[in-house]
Amino acid sequence: MNKEKENKTMPHTEGQPIVVFENVTKDYPGGVNALHDVSFRVFSGEFISLVGSSGAGKSTLLKLIYAEEIPTAGTIYFKGRPIKDINRKHLPFFRRNIGTIFQDYKLLPQKTAFENIAYALEVDGRSAKEIREEVGELLEIVGLGGKGEKFPRELSGGEQQRVAIARALIHHPQIICADEPTGNLDPVSTKEITDLLLEINSYGTTVIVATHKKEVVDQLGKRVISLIDGRLRHDEAKGKYNIKL
Amino acid sequence: MQRTLKLWRTFKEGMTNFRRNGWLSLATIIILSLSLFIISLAGLITVGTRLIVSNLENRISITVSFNPDVNEGRILEIKQYLERAREIASIEYVSRDQALDVFLENNGSDPIIRQAIDEIGENPLLASLVIHAKQQSDYQKISTFLEASPYRTDINRINFEKNRKIFERLKHIGATTRKFGLAVGGAFGLIAILITFNTIRITIYSHRQEFEIMRLVGASNLYVRMPYIFEGILYGIFAGVTAVILVALSAYGLSGYTEGAFPQGNIFQVFTAYLPTIAVSTICLGIFLGVISSFIAIHRYLKA
Repeated sequence: MNKEKENKTMPHTEGQPIVVFENVTKDYPGGVNALHDVSFRVFSGEFISLVGSSGAGKSTLLKLIYAEEIPTAGTIYFKGRPIKDINRKHLPFFRRNIGTIFQDYKLLPQKTAFENIAYALEVDGRSAKEIREEVGELLEIVGLGGKGEKFPRELSGGEQQRVAIARALIHHPQIICADEPTGNLDPVSTKEITDLLLEINSYGTTVIVATHKKEVVDQLGKRVISLIDGRLRHDEAKGKYNIKL
Repeated sequence: MQRTLKLWRTFKEGMTNFRRNGWLSLATIIILSLSLFIISLAGLITVGTRLIVSNLENRISITVSFNPDVNEGRILEIKQYLERAREIASIEYVSRDQALDVFLENNGSDPIIRQAIDEIGENPLLASLVIHAKQQSDYQKISTFLEASPYRTDINRINFEKNRKIFERLKHIGATTRKFGLAVGGAFGLIAILITFNTIRITIYSHRQEFEIMRLVGASNLYVRMPYIFEGILYGIFAGVTAVILVALSAYGLSGYTEGAFPQGNIFQVFTAYLPTIAVSTICLGIFLGVISSFIAIHRYLKA
């Protein structure tokens, strides 16, 4: 068995996988090959670091999970069902199963922290009382108890990311996809956000974090999937950041 | 129940966006107001011109003067005979004495005229029938009809020929004004609509990243779209009201120059008379433009 094959061995095989990539390729118009023949499985409760340099395909891989992009070839399964079979009209409902976090936070600038989180419940038609209670509770969990009425521009980067995490958690998603969640943060905030994601994971939520911060990945000591030029190079149960610049 | 709740929420969100995007909302309303103002003013001018033409048309009549030896009974008999014609709207009998009274009222202050009347010693004016036709084109028919009637020997003169040129000129002015009004109004309207659409498109463009975020957190396209539709309605209402105020101010400013040109008086009085129609149509047009522009502008960001 060669080394590359050894590295691609599934590190976790217990239970039903929540996400399965089966020979997934993604090409963008203009001949850009973002992912090439990628296969792996994600099991419930896992914490995965998705590593790779810029342009390696990390963001594309996450976008494919929350159906922002569709694969050019191959199939992605979410809880056993091919994502491509989901009717476009049902995408909003599907996405409520997945929490998304971004490097640039992607908060609605005209809404307060409270309203940003509440929006995800409002679209679901939840009652005002429920929304008040749940959002208040989540703001406490992410450490923003007294800052619900602040607008994103009035919050620090770390605080904005906490709001984004709270919003991602509001539907009690089975999986969180975080795309460079600490990319814009200082080391202290990076540590706080990473700890928060670990805490969320400890309650059973699957977390996939795309990052190129070596120190974060190495400290975690969790499963690491490495992408190089759109190809899956390593998949280790307790991995380290192994991308050489 | 859930639908009502969602509708209410999107409405509330539209209101909040409108308030929080204060400057952007204001700029959009100003542009939309100006567009509506141009369209409404073009409309008012077209209606005003039509009123002027029809006012002048109503003032036109054929005067049939009778020989001095034709008595009043005979003239009234002719009047009754004419009243049976479908083309005639009204006939007014003016006796020789009434004609003189009107003449003196208009010209009596001129000492030369008064002296001339005194020297003649009797009423030189003829009794007449003043005929108003239902339509301008009917005057020719009435004139021909009278000339061929058994009463033609009683008739001294019919002043239709004198008025004929005025009729034709008015007809021409009326038709030209209508065409010109439609063309200018249409062109300005189109420009105004394009400017409005582009302004709202820019407003929506500034929110394009928010649509992606909203959809990522599970909002349906309709839920994303609705607040912007409500915002479009608000733009329309505010811009419509502003445009009506601007038209009112313009009409008021022009009132001095248009005194007596309309049956209602001046252009401001025309505006007042048509206020409900102008207000409702301007506001409705504003809402329509606001909503349709928002709808089209947002559509491209929700396609994927």
